Formats: sequence, C-alpha cells, structure tokens
Amino acid sequence: MNDWKRQHPASIFISFINNVKQMIITFIAIFIFGQSQTTGSFYYLIFFGAILLFSIGSGFIGWWKFKYILRQDELQIKQGLIFRKNRFIRKDRIQSIDINAKLLQRLFGLVEVRIETAGGGNEPEFRIVALRKEEAEQIKKQLLKKYKMKTKLESDEQSVNNEDFNEKLPKEEEEEFYSSDGTETKEYQLEEVSEDMEEEEEKKPEYQWELGNRRLFVAALTSSGVGIAATFIAAIMSQAPQFLPDWLFESVIGWFLESSVLLIGGTIVFVLLTAWLFTLVGTLLKYGLFKLTKIKDEIHISRGVIDQRQLTLNASRITAVRIVQSPLRQLFRYVSVYVESAGGGTKEEDLSTVLIPLCKRMDVPEILNQIIPDFAFTPTYEGIPKESLRRYMIKLIVPPVVVAGVATYFLPYGWIAFVLPIVGAVIGYFQYKSAGISLHKEFLCIKSRVISKTEVFIPRKRIQDMESTQNVLQKLDQLYTIHVSVLTSMMGKTFSLRHISLSQIEKGHMWYSYQEEFLQSADKKTSTDL
Amino acid sequence: MRPTPDQALDERTLTVWKIAAAIGSILYFVFPAAYWGALKFWEFPDWIFYALIFVAILFALINIFFIQKLQWSRWRYKIYDNEVELMHGVFVVRRVIIPMIRVQHVDTRQGPIMRYYKLASVTISTAATTHEIPGLSLEKAGTLRDHIAQLAREADPNE
Repeated sequence: MNDWKRQHPASIFISFINNVKQMIITFIAIFIFGQSQTTGSFYYLIFFGAILLFSIGSGFIGWWKFKYILRQDELQIKQGLIFRKNRFIRKDRIQSIDINAKLLQRLFGLVEVRIETAGGGNEPEFRIVALRKEEAEQIKKQLLKKYKMKTKLESDEQSVNNEDFNEKLPKEEEEEFYSSDGTETKEYQLEEVSEDMEEEEEKKPEYQWELGNRRLFVAALTSSGVGIAATFIAAIMSQAPQFLPDWLFESVIGWFLESSVLLIGGTIVFVLLTAWLFTLVGTLLKYGLFKLTKIKDEIHISRGVIDQRQLTLNASRITAVRIVQSPLRQLFRYVSVYVESAGGGTKEEDLSTVLIPLCKRMDVPEILNQIIPDFAFTPTYEGIPKESLRRYMIKLIVPPVVVAGVATYFLPYGWIAFVLPIVGAVIGYFQYKSAGISLHKEFLCIKSRVISKTEVFIPRKRIQDMESTQNVLQKLDQLYTIHVSVLTSMMGKTFSLRHISLSQIEKGHMWYSYQEEFLQSADKKTSTDL
Repeated sequence: MRPTPDQALDERTLTVWKIAAAIGSILYFVFPAAYWGALKFWEFPDWIFYALIFVAILFALINIFFIQKLQWSRWRYKIYDNEVELMHGVFVVRRVIIPMIRVQHVDTRQGPIMRYYKLASVTISTAATTHEIPGLSLEKAGTLRDHIAQLAREADPNE
C-alpha cells in the first residue's frame, strides 16, 4: 500500500476522448466554414493530425506523471510535467467520496473516484479518472476509515472542530463508542473504531426513495428540454445541405419550394418530435435507476443507466430547497425538487443537485420529512400587491411590441409577430399570479415564475445577506425587489422576488435582522457611529 | 419602520470618483474617433463627426458633474452591533443587510487615485457575496475594518 501508484493506463484513452469531445465543436466549425476553400484541406488535415497527436501525448504524460499514494492520514497526489502539482488531501477534510462509472470508464470496467473536500478555494474536488473498481473501493474504505479515526482522536483531545458541517456524524459515533467500552487504551480504540465503521457501512439505510419506472417515464415525457433540443436539431438540419450531394440538395429544395405550407408545418412538427424523442431518451438515461438513500446525515444519490453517477450530500450542509414545476408538469401536479448545498452539485444542474426528479407536489413534505425534516412544511404564501401586475406585464409586452413593429415594417407577414406581445402579456399575468412570499418561522419562502413555477425554501441562518432594490419605475408604485444570497458550492447564489410591497419588504428586513431593536420594534439605539 | 443608515462617505471620495469618471469618459470618444477614421475611406458628412464629439462631451460632463455627485450623496452606511447596513444607488436604490455572524473577512483596499487622496475602501465578504464601502479616510477605514472584524468575531455563532 505504501508505494506510489499510477492510474489504469486506460486513463490515457479516456482523457484523450474527453479532449476530443471538447474540441469537437471547433472541429465542426472549421469543417463547415472551411468547406469553400478546397485548397486548404491538406493543411487542415495536418492541423487536425497535430491536435490529435498532441491530445494522445498529453493523455500519456498525464497518466505517466500522475501518481498517488495513501499515507497514514492523507492522500498525496503528484501530477504535471512542466507545472508540477503536489496535493495533500487530509483525510479529516474529506467531505465525500463518490465512485462514478461513466460510459468511457465502463468500457474498460473501470470507475472514476471523486473526492470532495471541505472549502479549499478553487478546487474543492479532486478526481482520479480511471481505477479498477476494487482499488477504488479500497481507497474509499481506507480514506473513510482514517477520516473517522482521525476525528475520533481529535475529539479525544477535546480540540474543537470548527467545521460545524463535519461535527454531527463523528460525535454520535463517539457516544456510542464510549457507552460500550470507554476504558480501553488508545491503540485498541483505533481498531475498534474502524471495525465500527465497517459495521456501519453494512447498516440498513434509514430511508430509501426510488424514482421507479412509471415516474421516470412521466419525467421523460414532460421534460422541458424540448426547446433546446429542437433548436439544436434545426441547426444541424440547416447545415445538412453542405454534406449532401448537389443533385439531391437541388431536388429537395425544388420539391420544398413547390410544396405547400402544410409540408413546412409538417417539417416543423417532425423536428419537434425528433427533439422530443431525443430529450425523452436523454432523460430516461440520465434519471434511470434513480435511487436516493439516507444513512445518518448523508444523502446518497445514484442514478443513470449508461453514465452511472453517484452523489453524496451532507444533509446539514443543505442551504436551500427548490421545488420546480414546469407548466406541463403543473397540469398533472408533478414537481421536481432541487437542493442547493455547500459542496456537491454538478455544473450541468447549475451547481445544484436534483434531489427528486419527479413526484406529486402533495408528496413533497412527506418525502422531505424523511430526508431533511427541517424543510418539510407547506408554507402559505402572501400574494404581491396588485400594482405589481402592470410591472410584470409591461416588461413582457413592450420589447415584443417593438420587435413586432420592426418585423411588420420590414418583413412580409411581419404583423404575425404581434402574437408575441399577447403571449408576453399572458406569461406576465401568470408570473404575477404565481409570485408570493412567506415567512414561515425560521424560513423565507419565495414563490415565483419565469416560465416554470419555482418555490424556494431558505432557512434564515443560511441567508448570507438580504438586499432590497427599487428602481425608478418601482418607485412610482412603492414596490421593491428582495434578494437573498446563500452559499452553494464554490460561489453564492441569489434568489429574488420582484415587485413586493413596502410592508412586505419591511417585514422581510425585520424577520432577517439580527439587531434586537429592529426585531422588537423598540426604539433604543445601540449603534456605533464610525 | 427601520431607520435608514446615516453615515456618509468621505468628501474626497467624490473628487476621486470625478477623476475616475473623467478617465472613463475617454470611452465616449471612441465613436467620434471611429467615425473620423471612416471619413478617410468613405465620403460621409462632416457634421456628424462634430455632433458625435458634442454628444461625447455632453455625456462626459453629465457623468462627471451630475451623476457622480448624485451617487456620492446617496451613499449611506451604518455599522450596528449585529449587522452592517448599506444603502446606495441613484436609478436603482439598493439596501443591504449583512449580519455580523455571516461576515467572513473584512479588507481595506486602495486604488492609485485613492492612495493619492489618502482614502481607502472597506470590503465586507460573506460566504456568498462581497460588499464594499467605497471611500473613507485611511484612518477611518482602518478602524472600521478592525471594528467590523471584532464584531464579527464576537458574534454569537449559535444565533
């Protein structure tokens, strides 16, 4: 165990493919724009060849120069050829260890290990891209074992661990331990704890929730990625003529010009259907086999059919809960639940984590009660003043009117664009209807809508600051916008509600304020004038 | 009703802002410069060039002598025992409450112009956001920084 180790050689291939994946957009762009100049094609070939070679080379060097070693209380990693990096990951700083099996890794029967540490600036997480499964499990076991032993020792010495996030778990264990045999020697204790740990690992989870096939299917059918997928497919289709032989292209165009509006409509329907099919399959693959388990304070989420992902969240690190309902799902009262947490979260999901991909709105408190009981409640929202209605509507009517005006002037049938302001007005009306605010004990709840309806529950103690803004137009109606910021992984996130009344913002300030005289509305002053 | 904060920024800050705005105003002259360049190649009417210069000067003057002043006069802050409150903005009025227990660190910093006028700004960072009190005398900024740091240290973490 005490030797420097490398990753599985397949990591060369995996990093190569990842490189290529990133460059593929560049490839396509150059390919499309480069079409007209046939003389340059030879240079392109050399160019691509060079890039490919470089990727393979860097993949190899990456593998060759990447070494890790497990030591007594830390994992040490060396990497880099020119810029050498030497990282020490202290075991008691490790938040979670996830073992993912993505498509590329699965080709080789390998896994990726993701180690997440508390805080730590720009790189809160760490990856070992390719390892054999047994080896990964071994590392995980080793690191977790030491982690618990370490915190145990620290609490023995009564040193205070300031990371309040870490505290809960080891403390509970400590109590258990002392009740069983508190008089043993320290060395014996160490072994004892590690055995405890193994026992714990086999312990039944407290709570388990599965998406199941029916909900998975509904989630896929109602997923809202259709718009994005449609644009993507339309973009590809518009580029397709370049790759088709001329005669085919010409006959298709000719046929298209002769054909009726019906056919064009048909094409649009076809594009949308394909897009929908794509997102359907995408959602099925992404959320298939979705399983959520809660063990003590940790929430484990595993999901994915081809890219198998594993996520670990600490329940005490959750800073906000978001309940999202797209209009389509609203019809069937389905919602999805996201959580913001300090640490964890993926880039694809806006740095938050999907806790529940799909369930009925009425079931949410019950499920949350099992996972994060603090957040399990149904707030009663207070609507926003009726003056806000025009603010919401005007904002969505004016720009489309301008666009439609321009379109009418310049385009044949441009007047059709005047549908847009009407759509805008309808959306604006529903945005107004959906907006609401609630101060539920220690929670601020905000309900709002862009297209999808979103509810956010934020505990007071997680709110980093509260801000109110009022622009010139809002001033006419005595309206304010409220913003609160919470910590998510790496950076903060701000939630806002537009156009609330003066009394609502005052209530918000009063609820949030840590200054007693503003809480009890007594007027003694204890401020320091500096 | 919560009282609005009452502490103003240092008066010299306004001078610094005016200078900064004057430097920034050079950007407005990009448009006449570009037009002047275009005149070398195409036959465009001359008067647009002068109009653009006039507009640029007008914008610069409004910015330097009017907007900066408004902005400065609207800036208010207050340090309470348990929180910091900031209020500022001309077209959009912002009001921020930062509880002491959420303050992660406090810095003072200076740009070159501020250094000349012996001014500094105080930035207050929470885990998620950063806020700035943008112009205080050097001594005041120092004491304010230490004061906030002290209060943040003392703030009850169990609250």
